[in-house]
Amino acid sequence: MNTVKQSHSSPTDQLDDSQKPHAPKSTSAWTWLNFLGDVSKSEVDVLLLSMAFKFLLFPAYRSTDFEVHRNWLAITHSLPISQWYYDTTSEWTLDYPPFFAYFESLMSIPASFIDPKIVDLQNLQYDAWTVIAYQRLTVIISELVLGAALLRFIRVSVDPSRQRILSASLFLHPGFLMIDHIHFQYNGFMFGILLWSILMACEGRKLASGILFAVLLNFKHIYMYLAPAYFIYLLRSYCMSPAGAIIPTRFISLANSVLLVFLASLGPFVLMGQLPQLLSRLFPFTRGLNHAYWAPNAWALVTAADRVLLQLVKHLGVELVVNESGIASTSRGLVGDTVFAVIPNIKPIHTFIVTIIFQMVYLIKLWSAPTYKSFVAALTLCGYASYMFGWHVHEKAILLVLVPLTLLASENYAYYKTFVIASVAGVFSLFPLIFTPAETLLKIVYSFIWGGMILYPLHKQLYEFPSSLPWVLLESFENAYLYGFAFLQAFVTLFPLMTGGNPDTEFLPLMATSVYCAVGLIWSFIRLSTLYIIQQY
Amino acid sequence: MDEASDVMPSELPVERRQRHTRDRTASLNSLSHFKSASSKHIRPKSTLRNRGSNASMKSVGSDTDHSEIIAPIPRRHLLQTSQSLHWLRVDTSSGDEWLNRGVSPVSASSVGSVFPNNRMSNRLSFTALMEHERTTVGPSSTADARILEDDQGNIGAGRRFVRWMHRNNMKNWVVPSAIAASTLVKWCIGFGTYSGHNRPPIFGDYEAQRHWMELTVHLPVREWYTYDLQYWGLDYPPLTAYVSWLCGRIGSLIEPSWFALQASRGLETGGSKLFMRATVVIFDLLLYIPALYTFVCAWQGTRSSRKRHAALLTLLFHPALLLIDFGHFQYNSVMLGLTLLAINAFAAGHDLFGAIFFVLSLGFKQMALYYAPAVGSYLIGKCIYLGPVHGTRLFLRLALTTTLAFIIMFAPFLPPFSPLSTIAAPIIRIFPFGRGLFEDKVANFWCFTNVLVKWKHIFASREGILIKASTGLTALGFLPAVAALIFGGYKTRLQKDAQNHSVDVSPSMAPASPSSPTPILPLLPYALLTCSMSFFLFSFQVHEKTILIPLLPLTLLLSGAAPTDDVFLWGALGNNVGVFSMWPLLKKDGLGLQYLAMLILWNRLIGYNPFKLRYGHFAGLLSSVVHTVIIILHLIELAVTPPARYPDLFPVLNVLTCTPIFGLIWLWSIKRLVEVSWAISGLPGKREKEPSSTVSAISTTSSSAMFGHSPMRGEMGVRATSLGYASGRGRGQADARRRALVTSAGGDQEH
Repeated sequence: MNTVKQSHSSPTDQLDDSQKPHAPKSTSAWTWLNFLGDVSKSEVDVLLLSMAFKFLLFPAYRSTDFEVHRNWLAITHSLPISQWYYDTTSEWTLDYPPFFAYFESLMSIPASFIDPKIVDLQNLQYDAWTVIAYQRLTVIISELVLGAALLRFIRVSVDPSRQRILSASLFLHPGFLMIDHIHFQYNGFMFGILLWSILMACEGRKLASGILFAVLLNFKHIYMYLAPAYFIYLLRSYCMSPAGAIIPTRFISLANSVLLVFLASLGPFVLMGQLPQLLSRLFPFTRGLNHAYWAPNAWALVTAADRVLLQLVKHLGVELVVNESGIASTSRGLVGDTVFAVIPNIKPIHTFIVTIIFQMVYLIKLWSAPTYKSFVAALTLCGYASYMFGWHVHEKAILLVLVPLTLLASENYAYYKTFVIASVAGVFSLFPLIFTPAETLLKIVYSFIWGGMILYPLHKQLYEFPSSLPWVLLESFENAYLYGFAFLQAFVTLFPLMTGGNPDTEFLPLMATSVYCAVGLIWSFIRLSTLYIIQQY
Repeated sequence: MDEASDVMPSELPVERRQRHTRDRTASLNSLSHFKSASSKHIRPKSTLRNRGSNASMKSVGSDTDHSEIIAPIPRRHLLQTSQSLHWLRVDTSSGDEWLNRGVSPVSASSVGSVFPNNRMSNRLSFTALMEHERTTVGPSSTADARILEDDQGNIGAGRRFVRWMHRNNMKNWVVPSAIAASTLVKWCIGFGTYSGHNRPPIFGDYEAQRHWMELTVHLPVREWYTYDLQYWGLDYPPLTAYVSWLCGRIGSLIEPSWFALQASRGLETGGSKLFMRATVVIFDLLLYIPALYTFVCAWQGTRSSRKRHAALLTLLFHPALLLIDFGHFQYNSVMLGLTLLAINAFAAGHDLFGAIFFVLSLGFKQMALYYAPAVGSYLIGKCIYLGPVHGTRLFLRLALTTTLAFIIMFAPFLPPFSPLSTIAAPIIRIFPFGRGLFEDKVANFWCFTNVLVKWKHIFASREGILIKASTGLTALGFLPAVAALIFGGYKTRLQKDAQNHSVDVSPSMAPASPSSPTPILPLLPYALLTCSMSFFLFSFQVHEKTILIPLLPLTLLLSGAAPTDDVFLWGALGNNVGVFSMWPLLKKDGLGLQYLAMLILWNRLIGYNPFKLRYGHFAGLLSSVVHTVIIILHLIELAVTPPARYPDLFPVLNVLTCTPIFGLIWLWSIKRLVEVSWAISGLPGKREKEPSSTVSAISTTSSSAMFGHSPMRGEMGVRATSLGYASGRGRGQADARRRALVTSAGGDQEH
């Protein structure tokens, strides 16, 4: 839990650094902070200015996730640990792994001093200023884990100026801004742990990397998407000699430490015999293929194709077996469970098999080339494949792709372009999360500024002319696709105004967003897969 | 720099040409410019450099920017540095010979790989090599040289950002992105609550503005100033009413219920709030931001684009204005923007336009009267400067335009549109002498001394005396500004015989003179500051929000100053204390968080750290003390609830802290007025002499803030002629004076 400790102490001392810029950095009081290196003024700028900006977002729109987390504060504070995964006072039951529950429990201690009503279990939908300020503040503070990891990436990078841009891009990512600081979640904190883990791999401390990832898994189980890459990488490069012989001591130490982490997390619940209950909370298999708003993945395209086919069938009068319940579920596109009308229905097992097949390809490659770069690429692709073909994927999961992909962006132009397409499409696909008019302006302007500040300098540095005609054409298609987002945004904004909020066509902007983003994300997925397979590490 | 060089067609043609070619090298990385001769002599080996060293290449061209003369750091590509040679198996001792060989373009561009089916991609990726390099050699010291350099300077985040943008070839995007970012911040401040939010029955300023929209849309013009005065009767001049009418009409088109007469009182729906917030942001974008941009162009036109951009950033995020307009809810930016446009027009020599803008400003909010003595005496000073013939002509024109503008503005209240008696209502409403000496706790002289002397009790039945006293004190307060401007105009007046003495006076000078800037222009910002501060401190019925009016000229002055300047220190201190003085108000509005965020943001942006001890600067030491007091006050307020006997304890402490600072700023502005006017006109009868010989030591401190640019390398003429404002047509003996002023102003300014 080293990282958590850092998260609480780093702001004060960074502030301090900024106040006496010429003070020798390695005076005894600050030596323990050496892990960050010399924090430059521009880095403090990014931290302070973004912090000030995030303060302004406190009163902004917040989703039900805010109440979810407040409820968890209450559960973990006022109930004994044996009740945590059984409580159903609120409909927002605790469905994150135990470390996150411990984390909430830790945060509930100051909360109870600030305002005891925050941790009152019966006090549902509490939205006083104290709880808003407190919870929003915890997001900002816990996000410093991410900031510290990103600073470290600059220090160990071969090209600090580029990595600085990339680090800043992650710290200021519109995804984090929208999901964490408006919608409300703790992704910044958890991706901070993920980045620390990747950083450890980068520095060759693979045992630490494995432990941190195990910790992360116990914070939020969605990171299981990435687990195959970790497993193969650690097994091949840490537990085996390059020749392929297993090194028993390493294997045992890794296995033991990971086990210990899981024991610390799940142990109390195993002892109480609550493991089945816990797992049933963590993995509810009762949801549909698509989330309410289709995450822009392969299934979004399939669903859209089904809708189009249904219209064709209706209009052409072709004799086809049409699933009646599918017709009912077509009209909205917002309703939870998706049932296809024309295309055969997809079951969880199908999505699972497709995902595994794709992941296997990358893992074989990773097995043969277990270097750091290869690992990061395989990690990204594992996340990407799960996002593309997973069951009931949330659009928020795109961060699982975008964050590690950013680390690869400065590799060369091909990677960079992949990163651009994925980022633009991915960030845009998050826009429907924030639908209130006041915040709509914010998300668009912020993302636009972010894109300009990050992409332009990187583009300048990395651009390569396409080598032959097909690549010229491809590049112009890609650019046309990117410019298309302006039209898409115009459509999404203007369409409801023109139709006057007609409920029959309400889903159309969402569907258009989903399909258009899916095209870009799938193309980017193909690009990245090809790049990874053919590149020699 | 273009305006500046256009000014000097004959004097420095050679240098000008040279400067132009150098300007071009700023874009070294575009291929066509590689061929330019000048770039060759700067960096003979520049073709060797690769994309990786872009950062240093871009700074080569910035030598027009004095403060930023950074010798190009020759950064070679990693391939060319000796530390990289071991894996290429090249003998490091071959040195130059090897370097001169260059790198073939193919190998240079294959740093990455061409997607996807390129032969190169099957080789070891270059980053892998670099990584290997890193592990063997350790962190390279050259890579961060530029960033470390940025860190050493005592500059703010804004300037660092501008530098970074310029270096990454995004010079043209600085202004749009800064405007977008500031608009974003303003919009986000608007997420918070506003004045009188959810506080029936009377609500606050937000409801006042909304109510005016409601009543102007529904009532005939002559009832505007008489309708239900108890509930937020209209008490701003007609332009506000017209603007309210416009907003009300547009809003009613979108949703009629927002502005339904009577029925919409106290309306607080999300939609109407969004609309109201949007109107403020739109007016800000339409008026205030263009005014700021033209200010930076008109008053700092000869400075490097980096400095102008940094100044613009400073102004765009002005915390006090942002908090009041976009948080508390008012339309001050319209009034301030119009005043600013007036000042810009004066600087550009368009006095009539300036006068019209100022009348509009007055017509939007009577608080612009705080500026009126300075503006009026500037114009009178200019008339005197122009001499009897041109001066009188200008004076008559000004008088005519101003009167006409007023009449047009009040036309709906005047015959033939309505009976003459109608005009009385707006006038009475606009000047509320019946409302007492002060209302809430406000950090001015009256409220400050009220702690000891209970003015309201002593003069309970004799309000007239207080009114007279406050008027008298105010007049006394702004007298120095008026005197300086008029006296300055008199001292520097154009004399006919001067034409015989000066060699370079063109015959066209006299006809062109009415539209040319006057030498007393540098006095104007200080005079505005003195005037408005004196009104704030001494006049009748001042609100705490009114501090925005003195803060505008102070921030304008600050925007052009270097971080070690006196002007900078006073400006930053004044702004922070100004924001603090509004703390009770902001706290009441529920904007405490926004208050904190904006203070952090702006201070970081301009690079001001109040707790850094600056020995030898009175303002610096003072600011350390004052900021400590402020923080202590905030902490006490958090921890302690005031005793029942003194419910206003903290507002009073606030007043006691802020008033002395405002008083000191007022005194300081008078001191600066004296200094600047000495620099301008302190050398009577010596105009024929060479300017450099007449430089006095005293004037080194003068006017450096806004107008000083180090006239290095013989560019003095160019810079001096335009003296901070772009138009340099008025050459002549006035020019000699300006040159003296600017020569003296250099040196202590740039770093």
